[in-house]
Amino acid sequence: MNNPKEVTRILFENFHPQAIHLFYAFGYAAIAVFIYGCYVQIRKYRRGKPDGSWGELLHRFIDMVKTMVTHRTLVRRDKSAGRAHGLIFLGFVLLFIGTSIITLEYDIIEPLIGVRFWYGNFYLWFSLVLDLAGLGLIGGLIYMMYRRKWLHLPKLDYKRVDRQLGDADFDRSEYRLEDWAFLWSFILIGVTGFILEATRLVWLSGRPSVWDYRMWSPVGALIANIMQTIGVTPEGAGALRSGLWWFHGLLSLTFIAFIPYTKIKHIFTAAASLMFKDPLAGRRLPRVPDEQKVAGYKTITDLTWKNLLHLDACTKCGRCQEACPANAVGAPLSPRDVILSLREFANHTLNAKELPKEAELDIHGKDIGQVFMETLWSCRTCLACVEICPVAIEHVPLIVQMRRNLVEAGEMDPLLEKTLQTIHKTGNSFGESKRKRASWVKALPFEIKDARIEAVDYLWFVGDYASFDPRNQKVTQGFARIMQKAGVDFGLLFEGELNAGNDIRRVGEEGLYEYLATANIQSLDDCEFKSIVTTDPHSYNTIRNEYPDFGGTYEIQHYSTVVKKLIEDGRLQLAKKLNYKVTFHDPCHLGRFNKGYDAPRDILKMLGCELIEMGRTKDNSFCCGAGGGRIWIPDPVGTEKPSQNRMKEAAIIEGLEVFVVSCPKDLTMFEDALKTSGYEGKFIVRELIELIDECMEYDFPEKEVFADVLSLEPHLAS
Amino acid sequence: MKILVAVKQVASLDEDFEMRVDKKDVEEDFLLYDLNEWDDFSLEEAMKIKESSDTEIEVVVVSVGPVRVDESLRKCLAKGADRAIRVWDETIEGSDSIVIGRILAAVAKKEVPDMVFAGVQSSDQAYSSTGISTAAYLDWPHAAVVADLQYKPGSSSAVIRRELEGGMLQEVEINCPAVLTIQLGINKPRYASLRGIKQAAAKPIEEISLADIGLSPADVGAGSSMSRVRRMYIPAKSRAQMIEGTIVEQVAKLIQIINEFKGA
Repeated sequence: MNNPKEVTRILFENFHPQAIHLFYAFGYAAIAVFIYGCYVQIRKYRRGKPDGSWGELLHRFIDMVKTMVTHRTLVRRDKSAGRAHGLIFLGFVLLFIGTSIITLEYDIIEPLIGVRFWYGNFYLWFSLVLDLAGLGLIGGLIYMMYRRKWLHLPKLDYKRVDRQLGDADFDRSEYRLEDWAFLWSFILIGVTGFILEATRLVWLSGRPSVWDYRMWSPVGALIANIMQTIGVTPEGAGALRSGLWWFHGLLSLTFIAFIPYTKIKHIFTAAASLMFKDPLAGRRLPRVPDEQKVAGYKTITDLTWKNLLHLDACTKCGRCQEACPANAVGAPLSPRDVILSLREFANHTLNAKELPKEAELDIHGKDIGQVFMETLWSCRTCLACVEICPVAIEHVPLIVQMRRNLVEAGEMDPLLEKTLQTIHKTGNSFGESKRKRASWVKALPFEIKDARIEAVDYLWFVGDYASFDPRNQKVTQGFARIMQKAGVDFGLLFEGELNAGNDIRRVGEEGLYEYLATANIQSLDDCEFKSIVTTDPHSYNTIRNEYPDFGGTYEIQHYSTVVKKLIEDGRLQLAKKLNYKVTFHDPCHLGRFNKGYDAPRDILKMLGCELIEMGRTKDNSFCCGAGGGRIWIPDPVGTEKPSQNRMKEAAIIEGLEVFVVSCPKDLTMFEDALKTSGYEGKFIVRELIELIDECMEYDFPEKEVFADVLSLEPHLAS
Repeated sequence: MKILVAVKQVASLDEDFEMRVDKKDVEEDFLLYDLNEWDDFSLEEAMKIKESSDTEIEVVVVSVGPVRVDESLRKCLAKGADRAIRVWDETIEGSDSIVIGRILAAVAKKEVPDMVFAGVQSSDQAYSSTGISTAAYLDWPHAAVVADLQYKPGSSSAVIRRELEGGMLQEVEINCPAVLTIQLGINKPRYASLRGIKQAAAKPIEEISLADIGLSPADVGAGSSMSRVRRMYIPAKSRAQMIEGTIVEQVAKLIQIINEFKGA
């Protein structure tokens, strides 16, 4: 090796001192512009309301780093884009660290204490790693360009579903322009960097401490070889280098200066968004403080700093829009557009030095950047968007907060308003008498304990649909038989139970939710039990995740977990096996909300069914359309319903016999959709409980009323 | 400027109800209480006037009834009423709608409103006379079944449209102050969110006794009423039967039924 101290990269060789000063002036200017931009952004966030997500910062930081390093969230459902982004990310990070090392030595350590380290072996490895990083960066960028230009992905055309052609903010061509400007400037920086490296090699080809080690920068060496082959002289290369050097340098500095003003800011905002992610986002909605005058979000300054940060994290990737069931059936909702609208609104109003008047901060309405009422009411709160967002944006809590304001102002569907009043009056969405809540037990050949009077192992929280809907009552009776057969000690709250409130909270009627939740907690606290069990995933979610905020912390299990254990423990004998070909629909509130993917599938296997998965399954399960209170709002006539869309997907499965659900609302939605989408007779919809029930052999004493269980409407028959 | 809105908490029947021992009403346990539907509309009409006016307008809701009525009054306060008054005395129990009108008129004399609104009828008793008798006791003009109201606060008259049979409307100019009974559909009542109702708990409900409005127990109750409930019951269901067969068979069957009926 030559003198290792000489094996390094020349920095400002042959530069006039004034040129160096000029370069530093540009550098400082770029940093100043960057810092000012950051200041404006931070000032914007500080104009939001406080948020309590500051706890466990170290833990949050480690989680964020893990997510970023593995690119876990980016490769989901779009592997190529995720991997290409990984290359760009890695390339950028390494090149940034590389440049920082040079600055560290040249501008800080060497002038201060006279120590150098950027030479010899360290430099050579440095050189190799950065060459490969640059190669990855360019490769990733080229794929992204190809993807934008030739793949014609609907999610990348930014076409709005909530605005019409002609509306002031319909046009999103500026976004496309920004995307391309970003890609081109980035790739130019990379390419000119390599050419610059090559010109330096050719220019200094006579200097062994440079030329002998050229293979440590293989890409540069390759280009240098090509240059020499086509006859570029060292002098020519030197001249080319000085021009290119300024181009590359100034472009890079401009790029840095632009970070806080353009989509490039996502390198900070996405990271921060991931860091402040709420693991229970949407599963547990935020409370409205008692002292807060108006419920929910009315103005942009009602958003918390965290909400505002989430808005800025969006990279418009469109995964949320692809996953959205409302969007899939043509409703005027794209979760991405809600985020982008609010972001545009926030940038317009909150970036200014002075905060505009209150009236100009209203985020509801039909003007530029405002969110339409129809858009907010289209949401099923199924959490598909929150779940897939690679940068942890929490769309659903934001939408519900905005709905809370609509509810307070009475801006909702008349039928929904009626339902809310009914629930307030009767405690259930069916408007039935409280006394009739447990009328389904009359048809059973055995008594069910009243958990309000005696202690039980399992307190069964039945829920509205399972209690009052005639079709679901059959299923409810089936589960009672199964529990009885297994000898489980269980009981009910009978008329002491009220609607659990899950969907009322997601509608945005927080006051009614608080009323229902506190009343139920009061009832539950007065009972003695070991665990709650429910067949209703909606009740399951709110009791499990939201009641603790109101002082009700209980162990609660979905029936699938309980039944699975009963079969495994031999307490429940299967008298026969079913050899149906089935598919399973994950209910949002069991699957995506609470990760209960396995138990229902395990049971299906135990029953002997052959399970064929649909394309959209588990975390990508497609909402039946009933969530978020949409079961009480009629869908527009003449358009496809999410449930019908789902039936089409199931029908693709060759020889499908049973479409299995495990949620009362799913049963209602899909049995209806089976008829209306024309697949009646091709396959049937069944609740998992019904299949388990089918495998049972009961020895209860036959009672006259038992026959009622088999009729569709037991309450009419009695 | 003040508008007095008379409201009532009405009862609806729960499933499988039972009658009271005296058979004059349903056992209270089987009744579900809520604000009378018509009153949602009359309160909304008052609120509309209040909100579109430049001058200060006070909307006062008044009801006659026991403590449970506070829940309905709170709902009115949540919707924006400024004050609520509840009149009660044990002796009021058993009063007919005319006596309730007398009580409301006494409240109106004390409050001196510029307008009194009431619902056309209550959904549980349906006498349709409370508002009208209030006007009579006040000796004010009145209009019933008002489906449209054009009224400028402070003016000496209002133009109203009354709903008549057969889809007819009658446009009437009425001198103010007046008592109007408001019909369903005159506006779109606002939603009272539960949070609003909870927050309205902070607004006081004024409880007043008969003495406060210059009445005595002798003026109210069943004894002072001009009508009294004798009993409440479900009429026996009438039976109908389709007689099938040839003419001869049908006639034979008919004769048989007549004979059975005569015999019974």
